[in-house]
Amino acid sequence: MIKLENVTKIYKGDVPALRDANVNIDKGEFVFLVGASGSGKSTFIRLLNKEEEPTRGRIFVAGKDIGSLNGWKVPYLRRNIGYVFQDFKLLPNKTVFENVAFALEVIGRPSHVIKSQVPAILELVGLTKKVDSFPGELSGGEQQRVSVARAFVNRPLILLADEPTGNLDPATSVGIMRLLDRINRTGTTVVMATHDRGIVDTMRRRVIELDKGHIVRDQSRGVYE
Amino acid sequence: MAMNIRYVARETGTNLRRNFSLTLASVVTVAVSLTLFGAALVFAQGVGNMTARWKGGIEFIVFMQPSATQEQLDSVRTSLEDNPEVTSVTYIDKAAAYEEFKQLFSRSKDMIEAVDESAMPPSFRVAPSTSDADVIQALGQAFQKKAGVREVVFAFETVRTMQRITRIASIVIVAVAVFLLVAAVLLILNTIRMAMFARRREIEVMKLVGATNWFIRVPFMIEGLVHGIVGAAVAIVGVQGLNWAFNRGLSNNRDLKIFQGFVITGSQMSFTTLLLIGLGCLIGALGSGIAVSRFLDV
Repeated sequence: MIKLENVTKIYKGDVPALRDANVNIDKGEFVFLVGASGSGKSTFIRLLNKEEEPTRGRIFVAGKDIGSLNGWKVPYLRRNIGYVFQDFKLLPNKTVFENVAFALEVIGRPSHVIKSQVPAILELVGLTKKVDSFPGELSGGEQQRVSVARAFVNRPLILLADEPTGNLDPATSVGIMRLLDRINRTGTTVVMATHDRGIVDTMRRRVIELDKGHIVRDQSRGVYE
Repeated sequence: MAMNIRYVARETGTNLRRNFSLTLASVVTVAVSLTLFGAALVFAQGVGNMTARWKGGIEFIVFMQPSATQEQLDSVRTSLEDNPEVTSVTYIDKAAAYEEFKQLFSRSKDMIEAVDESAMPPSFRVAPSTSDADVIQALGQAFQKKAGVREVVFAFETVRTMQRITRIASIVIVAVAVFLLVAAVLLILNTIRMAMFARRREIEVMKLVGATNWFIRVPFMIEGLVHGIVGAAVAIVGVQGLNWAFNRGLSNNRDLKIFQGFVITGSQMSFTTLLLIGLGCLIGALGSGIAVSRFLDV
């Protein structure tokens, strides 16, 4: 589902964020990216979404070499990839329902699809009672649930999560992880960058550890360290 | 791509409302520049119609009697054509003279009804090879006494002055208008940029969930087009109003006989209207086009 071949990413100023990375992630896998700040976790994720271009190497997503993808096709790549952020990135002037509906609306889904999909996904994340609330009225955990709902409402093949529990307390984090686990069980490939030792050790999934841009460990059913 | 019309209308509407003062500034600038442009055009057309008889170096016109015989006409024509001082002679027959008369007096319907084609004097328009006023005067006078000639009319100094002033005035007005048009493009560009800045979170999310570039751009492009078109509409009303006021002032003023021929034909007015709408669209598309291509990289 995801394949990196000798991928190197060097930012301006000669800072290597990823060096000669070779990774193969199968469909339906759940992968943790761990490592200190600046080890290249976010770069890894941003490369998959084509927010960044690799300096060298080739990246395949769903069997396609995304390096050779035309600019106008990038949106269609992203429709297959859900994205969850540490800071949620919800639109403050839209309700929970509208925030999730927005993701379908802007890729041109008809309104009858929106009317059936959005309530279904909000039920999955457990926010049926909050559909008309604004993000400012929700707790951090609830906001992250909305953000997961938005990322998953289009049923993407891949879900990328960059420190999704970074702003949440441990109890709330567990709820979010249960949600991501459920999404993973539907067959969605999940790649999650995290600092959270407790979560990684509890889940016992594949762990890829980065250190100064090098992949130093790739272990199935791994722990944080 | 399925582009939801309701979505586009809603987004564009929100943008226009959110930035009301900047929107107003853009629209007013477009309106003022296009009004100036349109007024200059209409004025030039009016003066052009008014002095059409005197175009192309024509310095005097030999009007024949409406009853002049063919021999008399031929004799005048031959002596004009054989004269070495004459560069060109244009013969205006009764039908053509009547057409011109109708246009010149289109404001006085009763006058047109009172006269028919047979009463029109045919004429010869003469462009002499010299610009020496005395020679032209002598040349023209020589035809005054020929058989069948009613009168010889010379180009007024006023006509010449008029043409000169109009030319200069049009250039100045159009130059000012062009400056204002550039200002309007920049204002629209800035307004759209502000609108995009206000919506930067939405745009970021749209890109991440896979909205296409055009889906993101179209509402902003339409916003710019609305600025241009509304501005052009205001300008069209302005130009029509100026034309109306000018005509009223002229037809009430018997001393300004020379302006009798200052008439804008319907087709000229439609041309001006279409041109202003076209320019409005162009300005709007240009301003918003630059804004979205420069500040909406994906």
